Amino acid sequence: LSVSSSVSRNAILVSNRQKGNPLLKHIRNVRWAFADVVPDYLLGQSSCALYLSLRYHLLHPDYLYYRIRELQKNFKLRVILCHVDVEDVVKPLLEVTKTALLHDCTLLCAWSLEECGRYLETIKVYENKPADLIQGHMDTDYLSRLTHVLTSVRHVNKTDVVTLGTTFGSLSHIMDASMEDLARCPGIGERKVRRLYDTFHEPFKRVV
Amino acid sequence: ALAKSPLKELQSNPMVQFHEHIITELLEDSNGGLVIISSGLNLAKLVSSLLFLHSPSQGTLLLVSPSSHSQLSLKSQILFYLNRHQSDPLTFPSEISADLPAHHRLSLYSSGSSFFVTPRILIVDLLTHKLPTSNIAGLIILNAHSLSETSTEAFIVRIIRSHNRNAYVRVFSDKPHAMVSGFAKAERIMKCLYVRRLHLWPRFQVNVSEELERNPPDVVDIRVPMTKYMVGIQKAIIEVMDACLKEMRKTNKVDVEDLTVENGLFKSFDEIVRRQLDPIWHTLGKRTKQLVSDLKTLRKLLDYLVRYDAVTFLKYLDTLRVSESFRSVWIFAESSYKIFEYAKKRVYRFVRADGSKIIEQGKGVVGKRKKSKGDDNTEEEGTTSGIVLTEVLEEAPKWKVLREILEEIEEERQKRLSEGEENLLESDKDSSGIVLVACKDERSCMQLEECIMNNPQMVLREEWENYLLNKIQLRDMKPHNKKKHKDPKGFGVLDGVVPITPAQNAEASSFNKQERNALLAAASEIRNRAKNDSAVVEDQQNDMDSTEQATGKRKGRSRKGASKTNNSLDKTPVDNQKVAIDDHQPDVDNIGYAKGKKKVLNKKGSVDVGDSNNSKDKNVGNQKAPVNDKVEASVSGCEDQMNEINPGALDGFSEATCSTPPSEPGERKQRQQTKLLPPVQFYALESDQPILDTLEPSIIIAYHPDVTFVRQIEVYKAENPTKHLKVYFLFYDDSTEVQKFQASIRRENSAFESLIRQKSLMMIPVDQNGYCLGLNSSVEPPATTQNSTRKAGGRKDVEKDMQVIVDMREFMSSLPNVLHQKGMRIIPITLEVGDYILSPLICVERKSIQDLFMSFASGRLYHQVETMVRYYRIPVLLIEFSQDKSFSFQSASDIGDDVTPTNVMSKLSLLVLHFPRLRILWSRSLHATAEIFASLKANQDEPDETKAVRVGVPSEEGIVENDVRAENYNTSAVEFLRRLPGVTDSNYRAIMDGCKSLAELSLLPIQKLATLMGSQQAARTLRDFLDAKYPTLL
Repeated sequence: LSVSSSVSRNAILVSNRQKGNPLLKHIRNVRWAFADVVPDYLLGQSSCALYLSLRYHLLHPDYLYYRIRELQKNFKLRVILCHVDVEDVVKPLLEVTKTALLHDCTLLCAWSLEECGRYLETIKVYENKPADLIQGHMDTDYLSRLTHVLTSVRHVNKTDVVTLGTTFGSLSHIMDASMEDLARCPGIGERKVRRLYDTFHEPFKRVV
Repeated sequence: ALAKSPLKELQSNPMVQFHEHIITELLEDSNGGLVIISSGLNLAKLVSSLLFLHSPSQGTLLLVSPSSHSQLSLKSQILFYLNRHQSDPLTFPSEISADLPAHHRLSLYSSGSSFFVTPRILIVDLLTHKLPTSNIAGLIILNAHSLSETSTEAFIVRIIRSHNRNAYVRVFSDKPHAMVSGFAKAERIMKCLYVRRLHLWPRFQVNVSEELERNPPDVVDIRVPMTKYMVGIQKAIIEVMDACLKEMRKTNKVDVEDLTVENGLFKSFDEIVRRQLDPIWHTLGKRTKQLVSDLKTLRKLLDYLVRYDAVTFLKYLDTLRVSESFRSVWIFAESSYKIFEYAKKRVYRFVRADGSKIIEQGKGVVGKRKKSKGDDNTEEEGTTSGIVLTEVLEEAPKWKVLREILEEIEEERQKRLSEGEENLLESDKDSSGIVLVACKDERSCMQLEECIMNNPQMVLREEWENYLLNKIQLRDMKPHNKKKHKDPKGFGVLDGVVPITPAQNAEASSFNKQERNALLAAASEIRNRAKNDSAVVEDQQNDMDSTEQATGKRKGRSRKGASKTNNSLDKTPVDNQKVAIDDHQPDVDNIGYAKGKKKVLNKKGSVDVGDSNNSKDKNVGNQKAPVNDKVEASVSGCEDQMNEINPGALDGFSEATCSTPPSEPGERKQRQQTKLLPPVQFYALESDQPILDTLEPSIIIAYHPDVTFVRQIEVYKAENPTKHLKVYFLFYDDSTEVQKFQASIRRENSAFESLIRQKSLMMIPVDQNGYCLGLNSSVEPPATTQNSTRKAGGRKDVEKDMQVIVDMREFMSSLPNVLHQKGMRIIPITLEVGDYILSPLICVERKSIQDLFMSFASGRLYHQVETMVRYYRIPVLLIEFSQDKSFSFQSASDIGDDVTPTNVMSKLSLLVLHFPRLRILWSRSLHATAEIFASLKANQDEPDETKAVRVGVPSEEGIVENDVRAENYNTSAVEFLRRLPGVTDSNYRAIMDGCKSLAELSLLPIQKLATLMGSQQAARTLRDFLDAKYPTLL
């Protein structure tokens, strides 16, 4: 490699093939450098990306397959970054999807060069990030948790959560409220009352 | 000819002629037809008449209705009318539910009777061959307006028609405005249901209007002026609305023509806007989206202004301010300040301790002040702050008018009574003597009832004291709230007053602080008084005592329960409990309080004895209160009369008959000046019951006029032409209420006009035998068998018989339908892992864009992918866009400059990094998905259903045959449970096993929780969360 190792660890290595790709302008949050690499973008130890414009694909339908074959089995995560830059997407996207799936690649679609750049940046930045963010550990403050719980009942919105909270004082009181009391809350109509009440009082399992 | 004789039979029941016309027309076409009638023209009765004509020799009749709320009430109404028609319960349509074992269902489907069935169960039974299609006489579908080409109903009809061309399909809708949304919607629906006739029955149709106007009821239209502040608020809301609409127009994203304030009054306005914006929704900026939701909020406010009392309206505004302030645009609009200001002035105002007005408050409310006894105390205690709160408590103007009407009615009735026995009998034959008061919602019913029976000021006071107590109670609780010290971000407002406008300067906010202190002073004063009063049980002054229970309202009557369970026994305990506050009858109470109103038991002394008047139960005598004797006397005094009038026909309906007020001592007497009131029945339009035919009232007061209800009255009158019927309409003069009423008639008319035009241009292809060819008819006739390899769409042939295993729950979506259209065989199964199994290797989890965002947030997607990766070689996430929405993820402005964890791209990247084996499909539409599926399956083996069903199923659970899981579980409760802190994937099943419902869970002690959840810490987390005190608004 022509670049020093410290750079290569913290930067995206870009294949010389990508020279002149306007996408590069949009990689701003991570350093990047040209390097002699097989994939278009080397994003980490075992992750890489190939860039594909759908318009290009329409002209050269075989290009993607050859590029994937070049990668061999050297990477765990092989992203195909598909730039959706044509109007009539269904057919070309179907082809790309199929190729990606059958050749162990992960397809990411982006609708602008900014989005393309952002995906590359994000994958690099999040290289060693734990999955907490998507494991459902949301904000821990009481109100957002309460909102999260109560809005699982259909049609219950944030305003209703505040109404219920102020009226009943605590979640257990809400869960134990009578239909009449629920109906007295402003903004909570017949439908919501019934839905809330059924959620709380119908047994978890309906089968006897 | 076939129809003649049963129709004759039908006529023995009162029936409007145009219903007969509709039925005759429908019967003429053996294919079926689509019937659209004006709302309120009694669709339920029409359908029940049709059901009445069904005979088992024709085959089985299926009523397809999704289990939505409106459909459920339609169903119960149909049953009600059938009940009146016929006495033979054997031919009554029953419900085919997922609980029934498969063989049982099969025999039902073959029985020739009629059944209610949800589309989801029906489609699954069709696909798994549990439904012998040759036995089907026909289908009745009750929600034409919510159908589309890809809906499950269309799927059902396609399969049935392909096997049994003679089955009819009769489709109904009484929501014409919903039938004209979208291009040629009626025609498209007809094609996809293979129906070729459209029958339109608007209210203005000659036969209908002639019949309904032949013997019109006496109508009294009363225009009630709004108060000055109400007018002010209405004006301000409309101004803000207008401002928001102008903003919308500026975005250049929507067709300006439809953006009128008038349209903005309707729910369907959202649809208009959404329909225009949906294609580009993901590309819209936050502000535009916020505007859409603001308009919705404002519409609600307009509605609540005329529906809620002043205090409740203010309370709702307070709530809005907390929940919306940071996001919404409207709150910062110029006029919205007025909304808050006027709303406050309707309830209270501040004066200096010396009694002088405060200049900052602007114009005073002289003349509006209604000071009550409590106020003197308030002023004394509040002097420290220099500002004192004075209650205004403006009554809703309609309250008084309603009372006057009722008094007038009673006066008239008394006059007739005194005119002699004969006349009385005559009028009694004619009417039940009960006055029906129709309001929009249950809440208004309860409140009006209290206003009529007690004193309006008292009702308002109670609301007001609750309002204040709520604030102070919550404030007191705060220190105990463990979670509170972690100041929730973005909700700091909960600790202080919420800024009303950004323009407010520091001076103003210090003024606000004074106000707040005055409010708190008033609140704590009320609380102290409440405490004192509760000690003095017999104190007649304490009618205003709202006691400690902010939620334990004065009467423990479960109207909901009564109106829900059609149980005639209900009535006695319900009535009983009004009087049986007595210690002697705790058991009766407990039964009566089945709805969880135990709190009321403590409320001795503040209970309203007046309620007991209409009780037919002699138990009244057991009451120990000093007023006892007099109550008894007054009860027995009017009892005979009541028994006569109350024919017991009200079973199952919330009843509020209050007759002659008792001549008991105390303020009640002074307030009501012993004016007599007739028996009154309150009815919530929302509850959608066949109230008119049940109650047969001769006087109706439309407290919240509603077009549908007006039509119902018209039909009721036409069916009973000899009956004398008087209807009062109560409108707020110059209000949006009037506008909305008129606009909804215009809207329906124009919908029908458009449908009539569409009908004249309709092209429904028919084959030689007169069968409708359906959607794809231009290419080739529909596949004749469901295993056919011929594709209905006919564009590309599928070479082999492709199979896809589909999770039962996916039949809520349209993809199975489209896959079937593409010629694939659909195998419905309950899957633990994935939604679609394409091959032994490929498992697909489908996410619409909206689902994707949500399931990222909840963490559900992560876990779903985790299990897919565990069990399948090729786990696939399908991201499905909808055809009519834009094909993009987000607006350009959402991308931002930095990598932010909240962005969906970041989440997707993270998912991809953690599951490099996960494959992602990006699909433009349902149809594109079907094509992708077909091409992925091309070189794969067919999936194995016996294997797929076992994947990921916890071993101890076993496999329940034909388990339609979503039907068997209270899914909403399960989802709710899983979102609670401390509840995890590994313990939620155990919780469900050990505890029946969420209500029960809310009461479980921590030890029990710990046992269930297998962890002391998790149990504590959960218990703490359940009991955490909600932060205060003040």
